[in-house]
Amino acid sequence: MNKALFLKRILEIIPGGLSWSIIVLLILLSFLHPVSSAIIIISFDFYWIIRTVYLTTLLVMAHSRLFRQRNEDWLARCLSLSSDLGFSELYQVVIFPVYNEGLEVLRPSLAALSGSHYPQEKIIAVMAFEERNIYAHDNALILEEEFSGRFGTYLSTFHPDGLPGESRTKGANATWSAKAVRKFLDTRGIAYEQVVISCFDADTCVDKEYFGCLSYHFLTSEKRHQASYQPMPVYNNNIWQAPSFARLVEISSSFCQMIESMRLEKFVTFSSHSMSFKTLVQIDYWPTNMISDDSVIYWKGYLYYNGDYRVIPLYVTVSLDVAYSSNIWRTMVVQYKQKRRWAWGVENFPFVVNGFIKNKNISLFNKLRRSFHLLESHVTWAVWAVILVVIGPLPILFGGTFFSQMAIAYNLPKITGLLFKFTLLTSLTWIFLSWTILPPRPKGISWFKNVILILEWIFVPFIILIIGSAPAIDAQTRLMLAKYMEFNPTLKGNKVL
Amino acid sequence: MYAFQKIRSFLFYLSVFLFFIGLPFILSFALGYKFNTHTLKFVKTGLIFVKTQPAGAKIYLNGKLIAERSPASMQELLPGAYKVTLELAQHYPWKGQVEVEAGKVSRVDKVILFPVRPNLQQLNQEKFSSFRIDTEKKVVYYLDQEKKVVYRSNLDANNFEDIASLPDKFSQVNGWEVSLDKRKLFIFNHHQISVIFFDTQIDYEYSATAVFLDYPQEKIIDVFWHSDSYHLVVLTDKHVQVIESRLGALPINLVELNKGGSAAFYDTKEDALYFSDSQRSPDGSFYNNLYKLELSANLYLLERLIAQPFGAVKPAPKEWPDE
Repeated sequence: MNKALFLKRILEIIPGGLSWSIIVLLILLSFLHPVSSAIIIISFDFYWIIRTVYLTTLLVMAHSRLFRQRNEDWLARCLSLSSDLGFSELYQVVIFPVYNEGLEVLRPSLAALSGSHYPQEKIIAVMAFEERNIYAHDNALILEEEFSGRFGTYLSTFHPDGLPGESRTKGANATWSAKAVRKFLDTRGIAYEQVVISCFDADTCVDKEYFGCLSYHFLTSEKRHQASYQPMPVYNNNIWQAPSFARLVEISSSFCQMIESMRLEKFVTFSSHSMSFKTLVQIDYWPTNMISDDSVIYWKGYLYYNGDYRVIPLYVTVSLDVAYSSNIWRTMVVQYKQKRRWAWGVENFPFVVNGFIKNKNISLFNKLRRSFHLLESHVTWAVWAVILVVIGPLPILFGGTFFSQMAIAYNLPKITGLLFKFTLLTSLTWIFLSWTILPPRPKGISWFKNVILILEWIFVPFIILIIGSAPAIDAQTRLMLAKYMEFNPTLKGNKVL
Repeated sequence: MYAFQKIRSFLFYLSVFLFFIGLPFILSFALGYKFNTHTLKFVKTGLIFVKTQPAGAKIYLNGKLIAERSPASMQELLPGAYKVTLELAQHYPWKGQVEVEAGKVSRVDKVILFPVRPNLQQLNQEKFSSFRIDTEKKVVYYLDQEKKVVYRSNLDANNFEDIASLPDKFSQVNGWEVSLDKRKLFIFNHHQISVIFFDTQIDYEYSATAVFLDYPQEKIIDVFWHSDSYHLVVLTDKHVQVIESRLGALPINLVELNKGGSAAFYDTKEDALYFSDSQRSPDGSFYNNLYKLELSANLYLLERLIAQPFGAVKPAPKEWPDE
């Protein structure tokens, strides 16, 4: 094993090793020294509650920003701008990497794009198909026929299978497509600086104001090429049809993203995002052999610009599909796999640290801070539910007679219960906010569904058990054992627009 | 954006501050420490946890009433002995001394506060000689030897009804038991068993349905129902027998006993008779042995004796009654 590979393996082992060490150590401690275990559990519970309250406050702030900004007439604001780069010179390239999604998923995405409150002649829409998909060419023809007249340019690209150095990932397809766009821009003589590129999941339906908002922030941002632009993902396409379990998980995901948008020093691109085309070319496109291309592209920019690269949150929404299946068990499996794929973002850790080691221009403080944030977020994801749900009761159950006579044995469940009652208050905030981001109830859906949407929050503890920590532990263990995941897109339900 | 980040930073540092300020207090509370404001030191304390059945009792600690009712915990108590009194209206109080140790819980959680008189209820309405309680059917059977009648009611002293008359010629009743199917009972004295069928549906002469089994040569000590509610297991001064509860039935001797006055217990769930009998040891003295006789599958087999240290008990010869 050469030195570079050895270092890579060490870095791959660290997150999973740390998570497993915490879990095993706490379990052992519950048996061997229950008092210490109880002290750690109470400390963690208290930390978790403070964190929950803090994050809920951030959520409320992000929510208020979203509601204030999403109804702005961004296009009008763009037109009134006077900057070095004029709005009229700007082009929007939108790539939809398609894996095996059918027309029922792709049509609404293109329809939403064509309905944007934005000059359509400035939009270059690209459907990026996989060559190996047997329906790719047929679907491309159908969509070209339907949509080619609605945008300034409409392109279909077909990514060949099995290119050297590539894995079957979304990033490989998007990169192939972006290179095709580059050729197109070159032939038209359009400078890369004038182009903003958005890479959207195939089921992404943009808000009408999205491109206006994006253009405004792009044009007004200092060092506009040294930033990615991140909209707020909501899962409204089929939220009324999705089962409670899946709906709750996706609403929580949206909220987590909104919270992250308030923590700019940690904010990383996720799912559908936009950036300067010039930067994309400079940093050599999306990774072609990593699943978490959406976040790695940010880190590539961060390393390229020696830490002077950021993500600018856009408080407009892009709507995606809730992932669900034909019954509750299959839905759980679908959700579990989707969250495991997200948790596979832990592969960023070895990538980033390795990049930090090679980069001599980023300060040590920033390297340590960003590495810590990255590691801490993944390890916390993997252990929090295990500590709260599984390890929490262990000292009481297995602490023995001596421990049961201790004051802390009596106080542990009492304090934990009291603290968690307090967090119920934050849950009420989440319930209220979830209700406000819902799209209008479609025809044919009973009003009673509104009641269900509130009552279903009682399933949250159960959901925490299923997909709280398990997908993250799974992903980190795979990375630790070098059993690398392959890209496997999530099964999405039907959209109702 | 800048203003939001300033607010966020403030919230972040506030959270960190609250965590580090709050955690020592929470942990010290959990571990049983109390902050003494006079000495500005933490003192390790203990607690008393009180739980009563029924709940809601007033709690006096060293004679002082505390605000909470049981179940409750009294925390931050300095180590030492405490007098605890638990009071609940219409119940007998509980008093005790509880030792509190530093960092430990003293549990007073097995207290039952027994009610004073008001819960005492008279169930019978008329005189009776003896009774049997059926907790499964929630009924009580009364036997009145004087009037020679059996009646029953539910456990709330309602729905009294006569269910059987005792035969006139049965002057003395030494024992009785209702069958498991709840359709009949037996009564016995030293030399006679009578099985009397209940009939609460129609009113006719009960005695006409009675079965008499005579034991002129042996003295009946105890009788039990077999779980089939048809056979009777009879312990006499000479034998362990089974007999069908029908007219003209003859007993089968299962075990020949060495001495009279054996004691017996019948387990109806397993159909096993436990009985004592004496055996002569090699040195000529007598010892009591306890035997288990299983009657569920083979009524005549005497197996699995619990103890036979001085020789096996002697099974009775098979004497099949003439059919």
